[in-house]
Amino acid sequence: MNQAPAPRRKQERDEVFVEFTKSICPMCKAPVDAQVNIREDKVYLRKRCREHGEFEALVYGDAEEYVSSARFNKPGTVPLAFQTEVRDGCPSDCGLCPEHKQHACLGIIEVNTGCNLDCPICFADSGHQPDGYSITHEQCERMLDAFVASEGEAEVVMFSGGEPTIHKHILDFIDLAQARPIENVNLNTNGIRLAADTNFVAELGKRNQVPGKSVNIYLQFDGFDERTHLEIRGRDLRTLKQRALDNCAEAGLTVTLVAAVERGLNEHELGTIIEYGIDHPAVRSVAFQPVTHSGRHVPFDPLNRLTNPDVIRLINEQRPGWFQKGDFFPVPCCFPTCRSITYVLVDGEPGNRTVVPIPRLLNVEDHLDYVTNRVMPDTGIREALEKLWSASAFMGTQTTEEKLRATAEALDCAGGTSHAFGSGGACGIDLPRAVKELNEKAFMIVVQDFQDPYTLNVKQLMKCCVEEITPDGRLIPFCAYNSVGYREQVRAEMSGVPIASVAPNALPLADRLTTTPYGSKTAVEEETR
Amino acid sequence: MTDRNTIPSGPPGDELKACCAAAYSSDVVALLLGDSYHPGGTALTRRLADGLSLAEGRRVLDVASGRGTTALLLADACRVRVDGVDYAPANTALAQGAAQAAGLGERAVFTTGDAEHLPYPEAVFDAVVCECALCTFPDKARAAAEFARVLKPGGRLGITDVTADPDRLPPELTGLAASIACVADARPLEEYAEILAAAGLRTLRTERHDQAMTRMIDQIEARLNLLRMTAAGRLAEAGVDLEAAPAVLAAARTAVADKTLGYALLIAEKAA
Repeated sequence: MNQAPAPRRKQERDEVFVEFTKSICPMCKAPVDAQVNIREDKVYLRKRCREHGEFEALVYGDAEEYVSSARFNKPGTVPLAFQTEVRDGCPSDCGLCPEHKQHACLGIIEVNTGCNLDCPICFADSGHQPDGYSITHEQCERMLDAFVASEGEAEVVMFSGGEPTIHKHILDFIDLAQARPIENVNLNTNGIRLAADTNFVAELGKRNQVPGKSVNIYLQFDGFDERTHLEIRGRDLRTLKQRALDNCAEAGLTVTLVAAVERGLNEHELGTIIEYGIDHPAVRSVAFQPVTHSGRHVPFDPLNRLTNPDVIRLINEQRPGWFQKGDFFPVPCCFPTCRSITYVLVDGEPGNRTVVPIPRLLNVEDHLDYVTNRVMPDTGIREALEKLWSASAFMGTQTTEEKLRATAEALDCAGGTSHAFGSGGACGIDLPRAVKELNEKAFMIVVQDFQDPYTLNVKQLMKCCVEEITPDGRLIPFCAYNSVGYREQVRAEMSGVPIASVAPNALPLADRLTTTPYGSKTAVEEETR
Repeated sequence: MTDRNTIPSGPPGDELKACCAAAYSSDVVALLLGDSYHPGGTALTRRLADGLSLAEGRRVLDVASGRGTTALLLADACRVRVDGVDYAPANTALAQGAAQAAGLGERAVFTTGDAEHLPYPEAVFDAVVCECALCTFPDKARAAAEFARVLKPGGRLGITDVTADPDRLPPELTGLAASIACVADARPLEEYAEILAAAGLRTLRTERHDQAMTRMIDQIEARLNLLRMTAAGRLAEAGVDLEAAPAVLAAARTAVADKTLGYALLIAEKAA
């Protein structure tokens, strides 16, 4: 049979190409070109390494929000000092280099690599290890000074690790921070020492009373199922967490519950964690962090990982009476897709709560629109909202409490007709006085998707406002530190032990990886070649 | 929000509630809605501006200008000269202050006045805007005639407002809470167009933005809850029945869902 061939048809691509950017190869960490594409309402980053092939990961679970959040991108603030020069370009010059677009809202000091746990999930690859490092007083001072040199008056420094509470000088380090123009200290801990050592908790409480300063606790808290604890932490820590929280309440310490959230492990526990936090007197906020696939972690599918919109959707589904779409708002100081926050005002008794998300009270998007909306009548509201929707916002800090009050009060100055409210006029309701009581009722929820070697986009990295402070006095964007190889370099220099370049434990890479001495993965070829 | 001092008249049988509204709405309403907010926010204002064919230097009147949000947006984004008129002197002062602070004092001027007796000569404006306020004016025909009077021939009117079908509104939405949400005297979109037509303003385009109404209901609910937390006792004294609020809000959501209640944008033109 002699049939004419069917005419060849041009095919439509199944994706919308939205960005050309740079990333790194997750195997060798070499900078590579990358593209961001939208498929079926989700956003993916794809890249190709000449040596190691193609890689793709889900970076944002809601394409519409990814695109529309661009207008909430606040112009950056230039830091007072840069520590490096531009030489090879982002992300190889950290940092901060003069091309960086934002100052540091939050500085992190990792005081050690050792830990009293060996969690299956740990981006810092810490644990009971014989060959790590602990920083000295001098190193801590140098790191704090670098932060102050860059920030002038710094808002928040976070001590982390390893496990910072097992560093024998951790209280001294907090004192060193408080002796400098650094307003707030955050202690990032698993809570084991807080549960066992009430003297230590009392010492922290004392430092939280220093006028004009605060010490707040950032407590690892992943959920309530035994399985959650075993799979993420390797140990059932439920009783310990409860005791740590009760001790913090006793000492007047404000706590943020920090949950690492992984698909198939604890994604069903988000609503319960929020409700538990609201009901516990020490807890004033919850931070949800999709597991950062840097360092040590369980195998994952890069195309089906959790992103901020996925976490927010789960929160809405798990507490439909409290939350709905639109209650979380992207943070303008970093790249808006990196972090989303909501604040809620809470009333009533446990089990019968009224929860009012602040973004329902006023149009946050009108005030924090930096592209199409340059003029709004209430510049005071914008300033207050900027401080609240920021990486330096932590419950328990003076700034955050003041700005919450300012926002609630702004609701009252609803113009001429309501000025009587302020003075206890016609209705006799003195709202400003009433909202002063509100701070106790305010609760913050943060959703932050840190980047990893798979998802890294230099566009976001260049405006990162969460910086790791290194012992040699550099400030390195948190996600660059964990993804690009800086963490391995610093550990090797500090400990004198060579450190393998860590690769993500991603399912598509399974047959090309081998385990490092700390439990993380590294590319096979690097060992054999 | 906009001029809320004018109390909408409730349907017969609701005099008592209308009376409560008359006594207290000036404070309660402003708190629940916020003077700088109207449904749709600044995104809808920009959409409205797109329909007005504005060009640099044109003169625009914002009727019920509140704290000046719409006027300042137009002055800044469209580079027009805006006059704002509001019933409340305190709003005029706040808006003027905001204009100065934004460096727009030359382009945005605010006056106290009544929408039904606009303090401007005939045929001076290229455009008139009125956001979420016509529904509250007791004499809508009179206000429409005033819009037409101050517009130049060929000038455009831009309105965003609550739409309601009064015959189909559930009873929960005809009382005090309805006044708060300025539902009680809102009209169907077609009726707004008729009122404007009678004043010589021909409707060029209408759009429904009912989602903005849902957002406004969410906001009212959130603010009622805030008041319940901070000042429940005083609110009750002021005649606001917090216990009734959930039923009213639920009725409002249902009314939006079946299109009895909504929010709309309308562009009209005065004959050249």
